[in-house]
Amino acid sequence: MESNQMFKQVDRWLLLVTVLLVAIGVVMVYSASAAWAEYNFGDSTYFLKRQLLFATLGLVALTVMMNIPYQTWRPYLPLIMLICFILLIIVLIPGVGLQRGGARSWLGIGAFSVQPSEFMKLAMIGMVAHLLAVRREHMSYFGQGVFPLLLLIGTAFGLIMLQPDLGTGAVMVITAMAMIFIGGARILHFVWLGLLGVVAFALLVISAPYRLQRLTSFLDPWSDALGSGFQSIQSLYAIGPGGLVGLGFGDSRQKYYYLPEPQTDFIFAILAEEGGFITGAIVILLFSIFMWRGIRIALLIDDPFASFLAVGIVGLLLVQVMINIGVVIGMFPVTGITLPFLSYGGSSLTLMLLAVGLLLNISSQLRSV
Amino acid sequence: MKPNRKQLKRRLILMLAIGLFVSVLLIARLAYVQFYLGGWLTDLAEDSWARDVPFEAERGEIRDRHGETLATNISAPSLLVVPSQVEDPAHAAVEISSILQKAEDEVYEKITEQQSIVRINPEGRKMTPELADALRSLDLEGLYIAEDNRRYYPNGAFLSHVLGFAGIDNQGLTGLEQYYDEELSGSPGSVSFYSDAKGQRMPGMAERYVEPEDGQHVNLSVDEQVQKIIERELDIAEATYSPDGAIGIAMDPNTGGILGMSSRPDFDPEHFQDVPPEIYNQNKPVWSQYEPGSTFKIMTLAAALEEEVVDLDEDRFHDPGHIEVAGQRLRCWKKGGHGDQTFMEVVQNSCNPGFVTLGERLGEDLLFDYIHEFGFGEQTGIDLQGEGTGILFDPENVGPLEQATTAFGQGVSVTPLQQVTAVAAAVNGGYLYEPFLAMEWVDPETEDIIERKEPVMKKQVISEDTSQEVRRALEHVVAKGTGKGAFVDGYRVGGKTGTAQKSSGGRYLKDNHIVSFIGVAPMDDPEIVVYIAIDNPKDTMQFGGVVAAPIVGNVIGDSLRAMEVEPREDQLEKELDWTDTEPVEIPDVVGLPLTELHHASYPLEIQTEGTGEYVVSQSPAPGSRVEQGSTIRLYLGDKSQADD
Repeated sequence: MESNQMFKQVDRWLLLVTVLLVAIGVVMVYSASAAWAEYNFGDSTYFLKRQLLFATLGLVALTVMMNIPYQTWRPYLPLIMLICFILLIIVLIPGVGLQRGGARSWLGIGAFSVQPSEFMKLAMIGMVAHLLAVRREHMSYFGQGVFPLLLLIGTAFGLIMLQPDLGTGAVMVITAMAMIFIGGARILHFVWLGLLGVVAFALLVISAPYRLQRLTSFLDPWSDALGSGFQSIQSLYAIGPGGLVGLGFGDSRQKYYYLPEPQTDFIFAILAEEGGFITGAIVILLFSIFMWRGIRIALLIDDPFASFLAVGIVGLLLVQVMINIGVVIGMFPVTGITLPFLSYGGSSLTLMLLAVGLLLNISSQLRSV
Repeated sequence: MKPNRKQLKRRLILMLAIGLFVSVLLIARLAYVQFYLGGWLTDLAEDSWARDVPFEAERGEIRDRHGETLATNISAPSLLVVPSQVEDPAHAAVEISSILQKAEDEVYEKITEQQSIVRINPEGRKMTPELADALRSLDLEGLYIAEDNRRYYPNGAFLSHVLGFAGIDNQGLTGLEQYYDEELSGSPGSVSFYSDAKGQRMPGMAERYVEPEDGQHVNLSVDEQVQKIIERELDIAEATYSPDGAIGIAMDPNTGGILGMSSRPDFDPEHFQDVPPEIYNQNKPVWSQYEPGSTFKIMTLAAALEEEVVDLDEDRFHDPGHIEVAGQRLRCWKKGGHGDQTFMEVVQNSCNPGFVTLGERLGEDLLFDYIHEFGFGEQTGIDLQGEGTGILFDPENVGPLEQATTAFGQGVSVTPLQQVTAVAAAVNGGYLYEPFLAMEWVDPETEDIIERKEPVMKKQVISEDTSQEVRRALEHVVAKGTGKGAFVDGYRVGGKTGTAQKSSGGRYLKDNHIVSFIGVAPMDDPEIVVYIAIDNPKDTMQFGGVVAAPIVGNVIGDSLRAMEVEPREDQLEKELDWTDTEPVEIPDVVGLPLTELHHASYPLEIQTEGTGEYVVSQSPAPGSRVEQGSTIRLYLGDKSQADD
């Protein structure tokens, strides 16, 4: 009875948008992956079936989290954090961590495996939200307020970079920094940190100039069409012909082995190819609605911890959407970041839905809507 | 706490604003890529999906001035295989190998290569239409028969050096095929199918066809008839004299258009591999350069006439058989000399001391000026590759001796085409033209003439009057002098012999000459200039007048008849020597009774056909001139028929 009541009070916009995005994702994963699935596994529904399973798992997690008060988890955050650190270390051990695409990022057996860095992303948000709430008075001081947080984030980032998985690491750092900013850190601190970042970047470029070239190659992918520009070009070859209404569902051409693994990082390219500008814009709008509802929750909730947690979840989503779609439409250098809710992938989808469950629970505790 | 709360709200709203701004940015960029860049990206993407099966353009034909085909194409399709589309390579290999007569394992290896499109060379390249049909009827996935064609030269070795030949890709390799490759080849088209990245046909996409653009046809200034006559005469000369080589050129002196050009040894363009490369690479009429000998005297003569340093009829010259120049004794070709003669006779006799004297009267500067003016020492500009420039004396090294030998054609080196072009200028009124082969370009679709070559007149070297005097002198050479062998009754042939000693390593070879003759006709209004050179003829006197002149006579006579040039009434009659007989004029005997003929004594063989007492018609026609002892045919009938 009580849980039922809660369900009525959750943010329905948020829930609706989430379910819609997951549904679009499942459909697009099928269309994008069918050719590859048939080629690699002799079963065009291979990825579809698994994505359906992940979506189900994720929605279960969402429902569970939605119905358990978010406060319940707060005492366990240090423990969760510790476990995540241990997992991040274990995954680095050759023979234990599974290597895919040059990065040792997976733990598990065969087809069913998890990415500890995905867990860390979420745990970090929770921990940072917790610390921001506890140490609010200190946040205007660098030494007592900001620095311990930076130390924590930096350590996790360092471990993730050992895999290496720059994409996930960057998403976590950017999200956490946004939370610290919202949490009251001084603008000046960010200016100094920014300068520090510029210097560090300059040093990196000086020590290995190819890095700059790799970063800027997305501006003109044709300068290295078979190397760093290959994925960008193939992505643009999908989107360009899409036009206003697209080629029609299932009629992508680039999914026929031109675009590598179109069901993960480049799912938005296939979506814009088959569904055209209209579908692409609708998806971006749905993400905007999600963001609006999320920030609204952060604004209205009294509990600072909940507020920061909501900001973190929205930030996580915003950063990933920005980078993923940015890469696909040629605004960003290619980095391995998935599109929340849409991309194929077990860990990312279930954990993202779990996070939405948390957010929904927060929304159910708003005093007045 | 209060201000903190306010700051939190401000920063949250800022974050929302940034998020919405990013969304707008993403949508704007998406629109830019899909709408603004869409067309461009679609073209690029289609190119990346398309696998082209080439569709060769048809190479333009080469034709003569009357449209007779000299080089054309015959259908020769090629086999293309898309390995990823072949369902059962083992089976396909068996079928293909049995049709193409190629080892099965080689075929299998080829059609399983990791390539988007493979060809089976050489068996599957430019096949006969029958083989192509056989392959087509296999109806196997992944096999494509691409329309293609092969160059075909219907007349074999005919005009081979000028035409050149095209290679396996229909690319011009030598001759006109190379010189005009761009115009003749057109641009290829293609049939494209869309393929996925693994080579399979992309589902649901139609093929794309890009039409090839066929090459243009070219009409040459060459006259097939004239060329055939030259080829025939060179063949006879080869058989008669077993020479080291032979060259023949015919030119229209009024435009510079080449009417015919040939040389020996020659080759069949479709089997050029059968001869050494120097044979098909060297087009001797434009490439080779050697001492011209006496034909060069025409230049000295023309210069002397233009500068009015001689009157051919009034001025006299005594030839003791030699002439002293700078302490050196230059001999005349005739032992003992020609004695006392007019300068017209000097020309007729090709008297060397006489021409040395003409050269001296001109002086070094004028003589060499005219030689340059006539185009020697530089390429003529004909539309063929590999033209020689010839070698003249360096002006700084010209002394009296060099001037003297140049005046009668020794010590200089020229190409045959240079001589023909210069002589054409000397007889056509003085106008030096740029020789050419390609006369008209023809649209392959409509057969309309797209472009017509206008003759290029470079300059006037001598006056019309001088040119007329040169023609008169050259007609004398043929009628009364060293060129009698070239005489053609009724066509007023003029010309000049040439006999040049070949040299090797700076020394003249013994009994090894290039004998030549350059002839022009008709002398009142020249229509053709013919040059024939025979390199080292065997078992004969090595004189141009003996070997080359009769060949030029045959070429001129037959060519002018083929070109339907009217015979002339008045001509300089041939001066007979003991080997010649006076020609007989055919009498008009039509209507006469047969009995009357029995009493007449014509120096002719009489052959009769039909029965009757009267002559009804005769052949040749009355007034024709024939050699003594020729046959005259009479057709007989009764009196009434004869009266009709």
